Amino acid sequence: MTEAYSTALQTIIDEFKNISPEITNTFIFKKNGEIVANNETTTENQIKKLIAAFNSIADQAETIGGIENLTIQGANSQLNITSMNNRHLATVSSRAADQKIVKTLTRVLVPTVVKLVDQIAPELSENELPQTTKLEDKPFEEIMLPVEEPSHNESIPDASASFSSEPLLPEPPVNQFMIEKIGGLLVSADTVRVDSEVIAKWNDLYGDKQITQVHIETLEGKTTTCKFKPIKEKNCNAKGIIQIPEKILQALQTSKGKLVMVKPVIT
Amino acid sequence: MLKPKTSTNEVETVFTNAVAVISVDEENSAFASLSASLAEIRKLKGVIGYILRGNTSAIIDLAAPDKIIEYAFLSSQMHDSSQEITKQFNLGETESILVEGKNVKVLCMSIGENKISVFMEKSATHAWIIKRILL
Repeated sequence: MTEAYSTALQTIIDEFKNISPEITNTFIFKKNGEIVANNETTTENQIKKLIAAFNSIADQAETIGGIENLTIQGANSQLNITSMNNRHLATVSSRAADQKIVKTLTRVLVPTVVKLVDQIAPELSENELPQTTKLEDKPFEEIMLPVEEPSHNESIPDASASFSSEPLLPEPPVNQFMIEKIGGLLVSADTVRVDSEVIAKWNDLYGDKQITQVHIETLEGKTTTCKFKPIKEKNCNAKGIIQIPEKILQALQTSKGKLVMVKPVIT
Repeated sequence: MLKPKTSTNEVETVFTNAVAVISVDEENSAFASLSASLAEIRKLKGVIGYILRGNTSAIIDLAAPDKIIEYAFLSSQMHDSSQEITKQFNLGETESILVEGKNVKVLCMSIGENKISVFMEKSATHAWIIKRILL
């Protein structure tokens, strides 16, 4: 008996009290003593004793074709056992219970559900061995993972989101520059100056995206991010040059003439 | 297990057409009354037969003599096991026990010291039989 199957039956019998509060005990058992489902109001000892008594009657009842249904009417309550595919549904209800409802639940509804489940998914009830083996082979998380990540439901919105609001952007190009120290009263201490042709290429590449910062990395691995401006000089000497103020040079622990890797920061 | 109580002074066994009737001591008036009622019930359509057991007497009237022992065992077991179930689930004093098989159903009742088992076809109305016995 798989856990899924027991859970399904448990869910059904848990509803019994909602439908008919006069039903005090409900449980499903097998002749071998296995308790398939129980609504918690019945102790294991009670069930064991009932199974023993039931089996004693069932052994003698072969002469009438086995037990399909057993009813004991007491002065206070009544007990009913309905057999269904090697399982037996036991209910105890007060005499005040609506017999039509009790009979509908115990002799029609549950046996029909059990029969249907057995027909639709026989592997749930009887051919459980392969499933059990699978469950043991794989960790619980591995089985649950596909359930938590349905493939088509989540991937489609993700894809559309990335194409509509976040268009795919090319990886920022990395340019190698030689350091040139820059200083003076009009020079901002937190801004580097980069070859204007390179900046133009960046603007072409990223269209409307405004690029305000660059990421600088030395060959030693020191990095910083700072604002940038184009180099004012329009001569050939500006090519491959990055002008860096003293403060940033100190932060990068580098100096004039050394090489740095520069790439635009795309936000 | 069936433990028929027998009286040492009066034992009468009659075999009629496919019907075995064992009667032992009919001094008990309730027993006599029940046996009369059961004799009437026995005539009903669908009723296969009955077993009536008192303290010192027993009547078995079954249409299938070859099933007498099996039916007697079943009847006895129903009475015994139902007591355990009734006690476990606090059902109160047992009024009736009904076991439905594939083709036959068995109704058991205890009236005082007397134990009744009525065997019938599944189509028979057992509720009417209960009322008739309790009259």
